[in-house]
Amino acid sequence: MAEPFTAPIDNFFNPRGVAVVGASATPGSPNNQIVQFAKQMSLNGKVFPVNPRSDEIVGLKCYPDLMSIPEPVDLVVIAVGAQHSLGVARQIARRRGEKGDAGAVAVVTAGFKEMATAEGEQLQSELIATIKASGARIIGPNCQGVADTYNGVNTTFSVPPNTPKGGVSVISQSAAFATSFLRWARDQKLVGVNKFVSLGNMADLDFRDLLAYMSDDEKTKVIAMYMEGIVDARGLIDISAKVTKRKPIVVIKGGKTSLGTNVAQSHTASIAGNNDIYDGAFRQAGVIRAQSVAEFYHTARVFDKMPLPKGNRIAILTVVGGPSTICVDELVSTGEVSLAHFSDELKKEAAKYLVASANIGSPDGYIDMTASVNPKMHTDVLRLLMNDDGIDGIIFMTTPPGFIKDDELAAAIAEGYNSVPDEKKKPLLSVMLAGNAVARCRTLLEEQGLPTFEFPDDAARVMVNMVRYSAYRRRNACQ
Amino acid sequence: MDCRKIITSSIAAGDAVIPELEAQQICRAYDIACPATVLAPGKAECIAAATSMGFPVVIKIFSRQIVHKSDVGGVVTGIATADELGRAYDRMLANIAKSAPGAEIGGVIVQKQMPKGVEVVVGGLRNDQFGPVVMFGMGGIYVEVFKDVSFRLAPLDKDEALRQVRETKVYKLLQGVRGDKPCDIDALCEVMVNTGKLLAEYPEIAELDFNPVFCYPDGCTVVDARLVLKSS
Repeated sequence: MAEPFTAPIDNFFNPRGVAVVGASATPGSPNNQIVQFAKQMSLNGKVFPVNPRSDEIVGLKCYPDLMSIPEPVDLVVIAVGAQHSLGVARQIARRRGEKGDAGAVAVVTAGFKEMATAEGEQLQSELIATIKASGARIIGPNCQGVADTYNGVNTTFSVPPNTPKGGVSVISQSAAFATSFLRWARDQKLVGVNKFVSLGNMADLDFRDLLAYMSDDEKTKVIAMYMEGIVDARGLIDISAKVTKRKPIVVIKGGKTSLGTNVAQSHTASIAGNNDIYDGAFRQAGVIRAQSVAEFYHTARVFDKMPLPKGNRIAILTVVGGPSTICVDELVSTGEVSLAHFSDELKKEAAKYLVASANIGSPDGYIDMTASVNPKMHTDVLRLLMNDDGIDGIIFMTTPPGFIKDDELAAAIAEGYNSVPDEKKKPLLSVMLAGNAVARCRTLLEEQGLPTFEFPDDAARVMVNMVRYSAYRRRNACQ
Repeated sequence: MDCRKIITSSIAAGDAVIPELEAQQICRAYDIACPATVLAPGKAECIAAATSMGFPVVIKIFSRQIVHKSDVGGVVTGIATADELGRAYDRMLANIAKSAPGAEIGGVIVQKQMPKGVEVVVGGLRNDQFGPVVMFGMGGIYVEVFKDVSFRLAPLDKDEALRQVRETKVYKLLQGVRGDKPCDIDALCEVMVNTGKLLAEYPEIAELDFNPVFCYPDGCTVVDARLVLKSS
């Protein structure tokens, strides 16, 4: 027999048709939700529920088995119980043999290796071997599969179909972690998503494969990964180092246990936990590792919305003193970022726009406009900072005063930011220290692509990450 | 003797750790500087060696049977003159005859005693998931307590080694504090690069400690090199 043709990963994200095996007619169940979401997102309507006991599910014709679907099916979702999954795998193999499609399989079903039982492990290896022998590729088992906002694909029951489109692609070992990111971001339009992958047990495809795929995917501007661990960490780092020369990877990694089993004869081996090696290896490969969930969320989305800083000289523009101190502390703490130097002309010019009590340049790189502000001052000073080539990025902090309307403030900030042509743009991070009281102002800015923050230290950490990645890109551009 | 031969014969002899003299030979083959060291069969050769490398020196008993040399009076440091060396030599052999009577004595190691520099550690290990890894950090006996260390996958280049050094607190000491001259960080980075090369080229080496490495304004020296072999 000839070697089976190994299907491209693109089948997951660009399928001609999607079959959901184990689709349920019962509203309110996960397997019904999967079909609903798949139908709602689909651009061509080619969603085929499979269940021998139903004729129709969420208004779609239901098929008794995979073979009876007359149209091309590139993506198969296995959502039947674990004990029935092997039967579906055999049908996939048959379909590939006869029709040549069914190249991508998302095994949503749980009850395999993650159970840590001999049966679970055995079942998983049989399932994977059967599907792989046909040349099809597998995501999972024990996952939620994939979503693609541009191509209209969704095999999950928790990625909302109305998730805004954008340049962030998410690869996650935990579906819950990744979907909570999307839900957190949705109301204020903080993040736009391109692709979403929940990897589950990684019995076939893992981070390495998806990273390589997303590296070539034009619509992916940033890759955000939640990971716990991977056996071939060296392989992951090697691929990451290639990807980061083209686009940023932001990672948050759980599981901080050390080697444990290593019987060390040297200081080095006794001190070296995998977590510490990950730290160094990620830096070496230009991967940004976030230390907190907030840092992870914001860094990923800001990389998508803002251009990279060209250097490490950051200006602080504020109307609030205390939070700015926190921000500056965090900003300069790693030594990789410094405050910008203001020229005399810049200071003189800024003074024209602001009240006499404003603090311009103490410390250097810092402007406190005081609370006596109006929208125009924001525009004028931001224009000044945007036009100054000695400044690589700006953090703006405010508790928006009640006497300025949300839309006026948002418009003033946007006008200042957009006063320079695209090639002169630099990152502007706006901290709005008033929580939901300024939700509307934040949303207005986010809609125009200007990222906002609730807390000053989060903004500082994101700026450090951008500076760090930008330095990595510069030193790798000239090699 | 080349590195391959040293490692093969060390494995054949059942060593878990490559003996000091051979470990130093391997280091030198990788341009990793170690203090001048000579194995002297008797007292006269000892004094001749010390005189030619210059005082102060350290002497250590050389015997396969003696693992913990200092426990049996087999190490004397800070020897400043030829007379002192003669007396120390006699005392050491007398001590050993009493405390380790059965030991086969292969001679005495004479080593140049290095002036103190900024103490750092350069380490290496082979990790199941990452392969060869180079560690750098603050050296000395409290490495495990302070954990002022950073890691990189080997092999690595000099620029990457420098970034690795910068991630630690001991970097500040290397730059010179309280009027000290800055250390030769470039030479240190070269040691790290060569350590990575050594690890990548010899999978038989499971772990290694260069601790301490003394850093000076001109160069750096690996004072103690410990190369641990993979247990088969």
